Amino acid sequence: MKNLNTLLAGVFAAVALPFGALLLSGQSQLGGLGRAAGEEGGALFPSREPGLAIQGRSVYLSLGCVSCHTQQVRPAGQGSDLARGLGVRPSVARDYVLQPQVLLGDRRIGPDLANYGARKTQIEPEALLTDPASSGAVWHPSYRFVDAGSRTALIAYLKSLRQDYPSPEAKLKK
Amino acid sequence: MTQDNRSGRPQGRPPEGEARLSRVEASLRGPFLLFFVSAVVWLLAASLLAVVASLGLGSLLAPFPDCAWLTYGRVVAVERNLFVYGWGFNAFFAVNLWLLSQLGRFEFRNGWLAALGGVVWNLGLAYGVVRIFAGELNGFALLEMPREVGPVLAVAFLLAAFWPLVAFARRPTGHTFASQWFVVGASFAFPLVYLLAQLMVLWVPASGVVQAVAHSWFVSNVLLLWLGASALAATYYFLAKVLERTIAAYYLAPVAFWTFFLFAGWTGPAALVGSPVPVWVQSAGVVAAAMLLVPVIITALNFHGTLSTQGGWARAWNDTTLRFVSFGAVAFTLFGLLQGLVAFRGPSALLRFTSFGGGIEHLLTYAFATMVLFGAAYFILPRLTGSLWPSAKLVHAHFWGSALGILGCLTAWLFGGWQVGRQLAADATPYAAVLRAESSWFSLLTVSSVLLLVGHAAFALNAFGMILKSSAPTDAGRHD
Repeated sequence: MKNLNTLLAGVFAAVALPFGALLLSGQSQLGGLGRAAGEEGGALFPSREPGLAIQGRSVYLSLGCVSCHTQQVRPAGQGSDLARGLGVRPSVARDYVLQPQVLLGDRRIGPDLANYGARKTQIEPEALLTDPASSGAVWHPSYRFVDAGSRTALIAYLKSLRQDYPSPEAKLKK
Repeated sequence: MTQDNRSGRPQGRPPEGEARLSRVEASLRGPFLLFFVSAVVWLLAASLLAVVASLGLGSLLAPFPDCAWLTYGRVVAVERNLFVYGWGFNAFFAVNLWLLSQLGRFEFRNGWLAALGGVVWNLGLAYGVVRIFAGELNGFALLEMPREVGPVLAVAFLLAAFWPLVAFARRPTGHTFASQWFVVGASFAFPLVYLLAQLMVLWVPASGVVQAVAHSWFVSNVLLLWLGASALAATYYFLAKVLERTIAAYYLAPVAFWTFFLFAGWTGPAALVGSPVPVWVQSAGVVAAAMLLVPVIITALNFHGTLSTQGGWARAWNDTTLRFVSFGAVAFTLFGLLQGLVAFRGPSALLRFTSFGGGIEHLLTYAFATMVLFGAAYFILPRLTGSLWPSAKLVHAHFWGSALGILGCLTAWLFGGWQVGRQLAADATPYAAVLRAESSWFSLLTVSSVLLLVGHAAFALNAFGMILKSSAPTDAGRHD
């Protein structure tokens, strides 16, 4: 404990080992993951985001929506996500391969949005953003200061969020 | 582990301080005060934003509905960045420098370099939070600032916080104390972690969910290896110094140091249990969080053992520094136990995505690290300024505001998180009912945030008053 070099070498190893094992190995395992068809000859998923949704993603980031909303569905046995209908299957790593910034989130003050675009019953998103109280979503803050163009893009982004397509890994996870 | 004891002082006790302001202390007065004043200003700003954020949660409507830059997501991002990078880093720049200078009898001749680092750090941080307020943030907590801020902060850190390593290398005696190991480790680990995380998350983003793994790795490292390790260093020092006794079971301290650094870096993925990342990554995080109990138990033996002999707790209650530091020592033990417990898959399934995780984080960052920093300030500032604390009432207001405030916040986060987690686990409970249950805790959170703000304002008034009235740093002040 008296030698600075020993201390620094030990601390360097303490940082480098988890970095190599978790991050570099993780990148090695998942870095080559791309789109895939759920069934032989089927369409490739996940789908590419439409241009308006890409703009909407930057609005989502800019407003800090990730502070209150997650975008991930946990498997059975890890919470009640599937039982609550947050998705038809658990999220898998492949669902996120096209996303430049993965917004899994770690807090659910509001509902999960991983399958917002696939939900059948939902409050009209325009009303949710501009006048949440009258739309019945009293718990949601108003974003009426967001200009109409950005709101349209944000809604397009939210509606593009869906993980209900077939996925080879999801079958295994089930 | 053998300790060189040629100096003749008992193992597990730092060297005795001098009665008058030493040349060592005089040499670091300028940089210390720069770091400290910056830290307190950022703390006040963060506390104010915490009140704004809790008001937004309390009403479940933003308090300023037409103000884009006060959107809840931006406010909490700025608040967290100011608290960690503004308060946590500046304050530990100061305390770590003071600790290693004292323990290594290091006369600081390059104060202007450290001061330059402090100025660059604060300018970079100010620029970063302005950009966050303007809406240019990403979704990665504690990495929200624009990526060009990263290299600026890294250079500033090297200028401001590299000196403890120099002090350690140039110490005149062979003897070392636990505080020195933890400060050296923290000062060396952070720049590595920060640059690697910047690279893998912002500059050359890793593929898909590996970004989430990299981010969890970064957050756990910053909180544990900078704030946690620095606060442990200060706790070891002030318990032994103020109580004037050796640390109990001190022979275990090297084990605590190595196991803390060995396991802390792996704990990040414990926050990703159930996420779409490889299961082996999640399991590594869970095992590491459980293994972190080893240093937690050893530090508990060290700290609580020291406080439990010869009326230590009573002395801690009657001494301002020790009162804050012992509060922090208890909080660290609770943090380690809770973190180890909820990392396992069962509790994690129940508590994930609730406020419980935020509660555990605040046990570390506020109840432990911040309270220890306050205790350190009550010890160090009178020595550096040569003045007494202007108002005993403000000292009491500070302690009770901070202690009751954080206890209230922890109650809201931990019990609220537990309640919400149970309701979310029950499939039949409608989501609106879950939100109502959660919102019932927000009032307590708001009141507690106001208490914290009051406590911090009292501390700032007292500290700034003391610094302003200190004219000539020639006489030592008392810490209580």
